Amino acid sequence: MTDSVHRFYEEYEVFSRKKGDLPLEHRFSLLAPNMEMAMILAKENFFRREPVADLWIVKRSDIRKMTQSEREAFGRLEKPYRETRGYGDLNERWRAFKARAGESGDAGP
Amino acid sequence: MAAAVPFEQWTAEEKYGHFMRRIENGEKIEADDWMPDDYRKALIRLITMHGISEIMGAFPEKEWVPKAPTLRRKLAIMAKVQDEMGHGQLLLRVAEDLVKPCGKTREDILQDLFAKRLKFHNVFHMPSPTWADAAVIAWLVDGAAILSQTMMLKTSYGPYGRALKRICQEESFHAKHGESLTLSLAEGTPAQRRMLQEAIDRWWEPLLMFFGPKTKEATGHTNVDKNLKYKLRTKTNEELRQEFLSKYVPKIRLLGLAIPDPTLRYDDEKGEWIYREPDWNKFKQIVTGNGPKTDERLRLRRTSYENGRWVREALAQWKAAAV
Repeated sequence: MTDSVHRFYEEYEVFSRKKGDLPLEHRFSLLAPNMEMAMILAKENFFRREPVADLWIVKRSDIRKMTQSEREAFGRLEKPYRETRGYGDLNERWRAFKARAGESGDAGP
Repeated sequence: MAAAVPFEQWTAEEKYGHFMRRIENGEKIEADDWMPDDYRKALIRLITMHGISEIMGAFPEKEWVPKAPTLRRKLAIMAKVQDEMGHGQLLLRVAEDLVKPCGKTREDILQDLFAKRLKFHNVFHMPSPTWADAAVIAWLVDGAAILSQTMMLKTSYGPYGRALKRICQEESFHAKHGESLTLSLAEGTPAQRRMLQEAIDRWWEPLLMFFGPKTKEATGHTNVDKNLKYKLRTKTNEELRQEFLSKYVPKIRLLGLAIPDPTLRYDDEKGEWIYREPDWNKFKQIVTGNGPKTDERLRLRRTSYENGRWVREALAQWKAAAV
């Protein structure tokens, strides 16, 4: 036992969507000899109880994952100009305009 | 900022330091991350043992599937047996990714089991002669397993933690199922209550053993220490056993059942349970593959593996033809 058994199983990754309006989530992986068996085993292994709207099976060897080196280098850079929190001063600046308008008496309602 | 040195070019010490900082920060380690050898070894030992225990754990209960007293009970115990096998599948998957860099596969894990090179929990080497054993297994053995699995939910190894999350959800159904079986027998006739008492008497010592010896002097190794250092677990064997006693002793007594240990009491001053130590030599005998049911169940496991061979071969042919 042997090569044939060693080559028999392939690794598959299982993804599912609980409800139509939810994103696809990674569930787990499994070993199966082919796509159809992988689908059957995915149902048996992961969905004996919980509701599932959709199920995807992907052969792991078809996935390009990040290496640890890539993950380490992929740290978040500060990009406040891309996010709303980079614009936290707006309210204060509006208040200044409102205060000035109040003094001169021509503010709207 | 100076140009960062790519991770592959770090020295072993730098990688180890980085790894330990990640552990201390509560980060999760993934299968293809760099990890020290003894971390990988500790994971393989822990997770193969857990996975194989799930599979061997289905055996004492599966004996009761054809003999369950009602259809509903039959469906429930079948569901539980199927869940346990499913947990075995999840955990073996986690273990397989860890042994892969050593050139090993599921086949090697199973062969290790058949050759008794791989241990599984003491409780699954024991006989389950009555329906009350099925009740006590589901209530108390699963209850004990839930305590140790919940403790490991925050384990530093990401894939194991994710598997445990799913497993713990299903185990909580198992414990309810066991509670329901136990209550039915406790509410029943004198003969049913006697059967339940006898099952408690049989299972008490194996349940205390389940958590493992108290000290490393008794175990002769330091796996627990290593597992704590790497944040694979957060509590010692004895802490878990104390939790178990606090949770279940009052319940067992409330049912009017006796615990077969006259020395058992809660010491208020020490804040802990005092109990009679199980026979740890017997424990060693059992987990090294010499329990009352070890050989019979391993034979059954091997036979069903052999009997399934033609299916695997047929599928392999079909696959070869399809390519």
